[in-house]
Amino acid sequence: MSDDIAQAAPTDPPRRTAPVTPLLQGVPAIPFFVIFAIGPAGSIAGDLGVPAVVVGILGAVIGYAIAAAFAWLSWLKRTYYFDTEGDLRVDSGVLQRSSRRLQLSRLQNVDVVSPFLARLFGLVEVRVEVAGAGDSRVVLRYVTVSEGDRLRREILVKATVGDASADPVDPESVHALDPAAMRADVLAQVPTGRLLGGLLLRSVTAGLLAASAFFIFVTVVTQGPVGLLFAVATGGLPILIVVGEFLTYHGFTVARSTEGLRLSYGLLSTQRRTVPAARVHAVALISPLLWRRRDWVRVQLTIAGLGSDSSKAGRDVLLPVAPREEALRVVAEVLPGVDLESLPWVSAPTRSRWRAPIQWRFLAYAITDAVIAARTGRITRRVQVAPHARVQSVRISEGPWERRLDLASVHADLAPGPVRITAHHLDLADARPLADREADLARLARGRDLPR
Amino acid sequence: MRGHDIDVAFAAPQGSWTPVSPRLATARRILLLLALVPLVVAGIALAIVGVGVVWLALYAAGLLALLIWAWWIIGRRVGSFGYAERDNDLLVVSGILVRRLVIVPYGRMQLVDLRAGPIDRSLGITTVQLHTAAATTDATIPGLLPQEAADLRDRLAARGEERSAGL
Repeated sequence: MSDDIAQAAPTDPPRRTAPVTPLLQGVPAIPFFVIFAIGPAGSIAGDLGVPAVVVGILGAVIGYAIAAAFAWLSWLKRTYYFDTEGDLRVDSGVLQRSSRRLQLSRLQNVDVVSPFLARLFGLVEVRVEVAGAGDSRVVLRYVTVSEGDRLRREILVKATVGDASADPVDPESVHALDPAAMRADVLAQVPTGRLLGGLLLRSVTAGLLAASAFFIFVTVVTQGPVGLLFAVATGGLPILIVVGEFLTYHGFTVARSTEGLRLSYGLLSTQRRTVPAARVHAVALISPLLWRRRDWVRVQLTIAGLGSDSSKAGRDVLLPVAPREEALRVVAEVLPGVDLESLPWVSAPTRSRWRAPIQWRFLAYAITDAVIAARTGRITRRVQVAPHARVQSVRISEGPWERRLDLASVHADLAPGPVRITAHHLDLADARPLADREADLARLARGRDLPR
Repeated sequence: MRGHDIDVAFAAPQGSWTPVSPRLATARRILLLLALVPLVVAGIALAIVGVGVVWLALYAAGLLALLIWAWWIIGRRVGSFGYAERDNDLLVVSGILVRRLVIVPYGRMQLVDLRAGPIDRSLGITTVQLHTAAATTDATIPGLLPQEAADLRDRLAARGEERSAGL
């Protein structure tokens, strides 16, 4: 095949994704064509006396055929291979050819995801991400489970070649992703009951559901329909969120592997991801009010290169809901040598109650040789930790109300993600020493803790 | 004004903060006047429509008060900016209502931007902005003389190179 753009020759023959891919990609087009056929085009057919069902089916068939044909063309023209430098190349485009090269030495992440439809056919999609701004991500859809697994291993192996500081990875030691192979190293698993309970008992969700229950009660008592309307308004969204997260995080499993923590989860579409410890910039432990009797926490991560919109896809979740002990065990894998239970917390002064009347009692910061941590929140408590080596800059801010009270807040700036480290409302005299100390520790930790 | 409310948390590392050019105040005051133009036009329109003299006087007084207040605030705000270079990091202070201090270790800087809009250019001032891997790093020094800005950027770049350790 002609390859004008790429310079390096492929070392192995270019491969294509699974041949049924175009058939699957055509499916989402069906509803549009049915609507189009019954709607605008249907009125003409109606004049001819053809029943709407026939028009609809005809629309579905034609639409599917067209979409699948286009998908087939682009499937035919899309190939991937490893070039001589060991980087992944993806050539694609029917009219305008493009050749993408993913520099695997800058690999961030390889995810193997099986969306619902693909799963029925035993297919998966492979998402490869490298560090870099903008278009640094490639999705290969769909490949067979075994090819997906093989590709993932190849990528992980090639990612470490040429990186002198890393130990070369033995291909056999890169684990297969099948659940059986995972079971041996499982660190944590979220049972279905706990997941559902946890999701229902999150502060906002529980509050809104309680409001719905109240409105339903009012409706029953007053026999008026208005209450029911409120109940739907307050209860609808939280239930959708609970169902959505339940489907996403069902069967959440965390396992240890040579290349980092391996996560696998999802009911309808399963996700398998690897979180390399070296990419973890910060950790947040979140415990809503109603979880605390059972001592459950949710663990979220700031991961380099994921960006701040990652929470939408739930990719920053390390554990959706787990007992604290289990969560700490998992966190210890990504923050080795940090004991979150015995951080030397320094509480905010009592007068901070005038600035933060609800959460002041829980506000605190801690600083050790390795990490800076902050504690915030009253109803939903958050403990957020980052190694000094990950802190990008340090800020002090002092609002007018804080100034009146002789307080100031110190922020440790991190890469974009869900974790924010702010030591709220410290004694003004402590703020600058803390900021200076953190800036020094951050600078020193950089050279020491990050191998490169 | 500043001398009295500067406090321990926002004190300069040694000596005093390097201030920014007072031309920044001029630039911002030009912007202020431009922003007031529509309000003045509205006032003239009211006069043509035939609104009572008392109301017009009130409107003019309000406008004047706003102008004087904003004029004064701009002066203070510009006076609040300052920066200092230490051995290992750069410090920037700013703000009057909310006071801010940011410490950026040289090794963490990813790039240094110089910016100057049309008004800035005609007055001969430039804004220097530091970026790190964190989006929340807010280290912007507006109102530097172009030469000063270029020198600062070069010094920062050199030190960043020396101390950089990647992401």
